[in-house]
Amino acid sequence: MTVPVFDPATLPADGNVNPYTFCVELQGSQWFLQKGKMIAYYGQIEFNGIGHGALERLVRTSFHSPLHAGDWVVAQGSGKMLLADRAFDVNSFDLDDGNLTIRAGNLLAYQPSLALKQSIVPGFLTLIGTGKFVAASNGPVVFMEPPMRVDPQALVGWADCPSPCHHYDHGYVRRAGGTPWSSGVESLGAGGLRAMTGIGGASGEEHQFEFVGAGTVLLQSSETLMPEQATGAVPHEPGVPGGGAGHGGTGGQGPLGSGMPRMPGQLGDLQRRFGL
Amino acid sequence: MPFREVNSKMVEATVRPGQTMYSQRGAMLGYRGEVSFTPNLQGGQGGLASMIGRRVANEATPLMTVEGDGTVLFGHGGHHVHVVQLAGETLYVEADRLLAFDGTLRQGTMFMGSQGGVMGMVRGQVTGQGLFTTTLQGHGAVAVMAHGGVFELQVTPQRPVHVDPQAYVAHRGDLRNKLSTALGWRDMVGRGSGEAFQLELSGSGTVYVQASEEKL
Amino acid sequence: MFRLQGSKVLAVEMTGDSVHAKNGSMVAYDGEMAFKKLSGGGEGLRGMVTRRLTGEQMTLMEVKGRGTCWFADRASEINLVSLRGDKLHVESSNLLATDAGLRTGTTFTGLRGASQGNGLFTTTVEGHGQAALISDGPAVVLRVTPQYPLSVDPGAYVAHQGELRQSLQSGVTFRTFFGEGGGEAFQMRFEGDGLVYVQPSERNTVAGDV
Repeated sequence: MTVPVFDPATLPADGNVNPYTFCVELQGSQWFLQKGKMIAYYGQIEFNGIGHGALERLVRTSFHSPLHAGDWVVAQGSGKMLLADRAFDVNSFDLDDGNLTIRAGNLLAYQPSLALKQSIVPGFLTLIGTGKFVAASNGPVVFMEPPMRVDPQALVGWADCPSPCHHYDHGYVRRAGGTPWSSGVESLGAGGLRAMTGIGGASGEEHQFEFVGAGTVLLQSSETLMPEQATGAVPHEPGVPGGGAGHGGTGGQGPLGSGMPRMPGQLGDLQRRFGL
Repeated sequence: MPFREVNSKMVEATVRPGQTMYSQRGAMLGYRGEVSFTPNLQGGQGGLASMIGRRVANEATPLMTVEGDGTVLFGHGGHHVHVVQLAGETLYVEADRLLAFDGTLRQGTMFMGSQGGVMGMVRGQVTGQGLFTTTLQGHGAVAVMAHGGVFELQVTPQRPVHVDPQAYVAHRGDLRNKLSTALGWRDMVGRGSGEAFQLELSGSGTVYVQASEEKL
Repeated sequence: MFRLQGSKVLAVEMTGDSVHAKNGSMVAYDGEMAFKKLSGGGEGLRGMVTRRLTGEQMTLMEVKGRGTCWFADRASEINLVSLRGDKLHVESSNLLATDAGLRTGTTFTGLRGASQGNGLFTTTVEGHGQAALISDGPAVVLRVTPQYPLSVDPGAYVAHQGELRQSLQSGVTFRTFFGEGGGEAFQMRFEGDGLVYVQPSERNTVAGDV
C-alpha cells in the first residue's frame, strides 16, 4: 500500500485531500475561517481576527454576524492551507447567486464573495451570493427534497426552500403515555415526556422540523450534534424571534451570553458538548 | 423490509402498510410519507423479548415500533452501521447495538447457563450490564451499530477466534463460546479486571468485531 | 507482516516472532498468543497538555505467538510507515504498534517558550521494519523541502521523519470587535527535508487557536 505524499504542487486547489481534509489555495486572496479549523499550511499566510482594522471593508460586505465575530479569522496571503474539523466529513459547496442556511457549528470556511448573515432560525447562519464554502458533517451530507420531516439534531441546513416549521407528533406523545396538548407545548420539551424517551433528552420522534416547498434539505447521519456554535444574540426588539421579552430566565446561556431560546427537542449546549 | 445503506453511518428503510419494524428510540433522522413511531412500553414482542427493551441504555422502553407508508432514515450517535441479512439463521447481538430490524424476525434472549449466558457473564463483568444477550432469528435484515465499523472474522473448526469482549459486536452460525484468557494477558490488564478475559468462539460461523475497545 | 484490514484495524501475522503494541489494543486473535507488559514509552507534547490519556503514561505490550492478531484503538485510522534505517518521531499517543526489531525511545527537544510550558517530548522509532501510527481521521502526509517549510497545528501533529528542524512558533494574534480573546496561537514549524503526518482533527490541543 502506498500512501500519497503531498507537497504544495500536488495538493488540490480548493478541493478535498481526503473525505476529512480540505485544501484551500490562496493567491493573494482571502477566506473566512472558523478558529481552530486550520491544521497545517504552506506559504505566506496571515491570520487575523476579524476585528483587525485592515479588514474593515471586507467585514462590512461579507460578515454580518457581529456577536459571532470572536469565532472567526480571515486568512490572507499566498499558499495552501488544510482545513479539518475533529475528523468529521468535510465538503465544499458552490453557491451560484443562491442562498443556503447552515447550522453554525457545521460551517468551517467561506469565500468573501459570499455574505454571511444570521438566520432568523436560532443557531443557523445564512450564506448569500456566489462563491464557495466548506462545511463539516458527522458522516457524509445527504441531500433530500421536501416534503419531509427531520430530527432537528440531524439537520445540517437547507437551500432555496422556505424555513422549516415545527412538527409535533401528537400520536407519539399519546402512545408514549403522555397527555398531548393538555398543558401546552412547554410540557413537551421540558417535562415528563422527555424522561420517557430514552438517552439524554428528547428524541426526534416526538418533534421534527418539517420542510415543504421546493428546495433541498441537508442531513447528517447522526442525531448526536456537533458542538453548537453560538450565533450571537439578536436585537431585543418586538417582532424579532428570540429577541423579545419573556425569555429572560429560561434556556441556557450561550458562550457569548446570547439569550437564544431553547427549542423543544434540542439539548442544552453543555449536554450537547459532553454528549459527543 | 430491506435497508438501503445510504452511507457508512445511515440506512434508509422502506415501510409499507401491514409491515412492522423496530428501531432504537431516537434513531430516526428523518422520514417522508406517513410513518408513525410508537414507543414500546412492553418491548418488542412482549414476554422475554421485552428484555431487549430493558437492555438498551438501561431504560424501560428504548425500542419503538415503526409503521406506515414511507421511507425512514436511521442513524445513531455517528456510529457506523452494518446491515446483516438473515436467511433463517440466528444472529446473536448485544441489544444496545441494534439500530433497527425487521419486525418479522423472532426476538429472543439467551440467559446465563445457556450458551449466551457465558457471554452474558463476560459482559456483565465488563460492563455491569445484564446477564443475557439478544437473539434475532428468521428471514430479514438487521442494522447493527459499531464504533468505527465492523470487520468479519470467519470461524472454522480448525480456527477458533478469541475476541476482546469490548470489541465483540455480534455473531452468527453454529458457534460455541466460552471465556478464555491468553498467556500473560491477565497480568497485563490486572487480575481483578473484567478485561482479563477474551471470548473464545469455536465451531463454524462468523463473528463481527468492531475497530474499537469502546463500548457503545 | 503488518496488514491493514479496512482502515481502522491492523492485522499482524506472526510465526513465533513478536510485536510491540499499545497496551490493551488487541481486539481479536487466532492461534496462540502470549502477552507481556512493557514499560516505557514517552509522554508526548499533546499527552502533556491534554487529558487524552487520562493521566496515564503510555504503556506498550509485547505480543508473541503464532497466528494473526488484530489491533485497533478507539476507531482511530491506522497508517503504516516503513522504516529503512531512518528515525521516526511520533506523538506517543499516536503509536499503535511496531515490529519488535525497531528501537523506541523518547526525545526531549527543549522548551520553546510556549506559555503552557510544553516541552517537546516525542517518541522515536528507529531501525528497519514497520510501525503503525494511529490518527483521528486518516493522516495526510506532507513533504517538507528547503523551499517549502510547513506550519502545523500542534493538535493535528501526528509524526514526522527525515532531516527536519522543528520549532514552536507563536505570532498569530486575534483582536475582535470587543478586544477580547487576544490569545496567541502556537504552531509547529518544520524546516529541512522530510515528511510530516497530520491528522484531520485538532481535538486535543490547547495550543492552537487558528
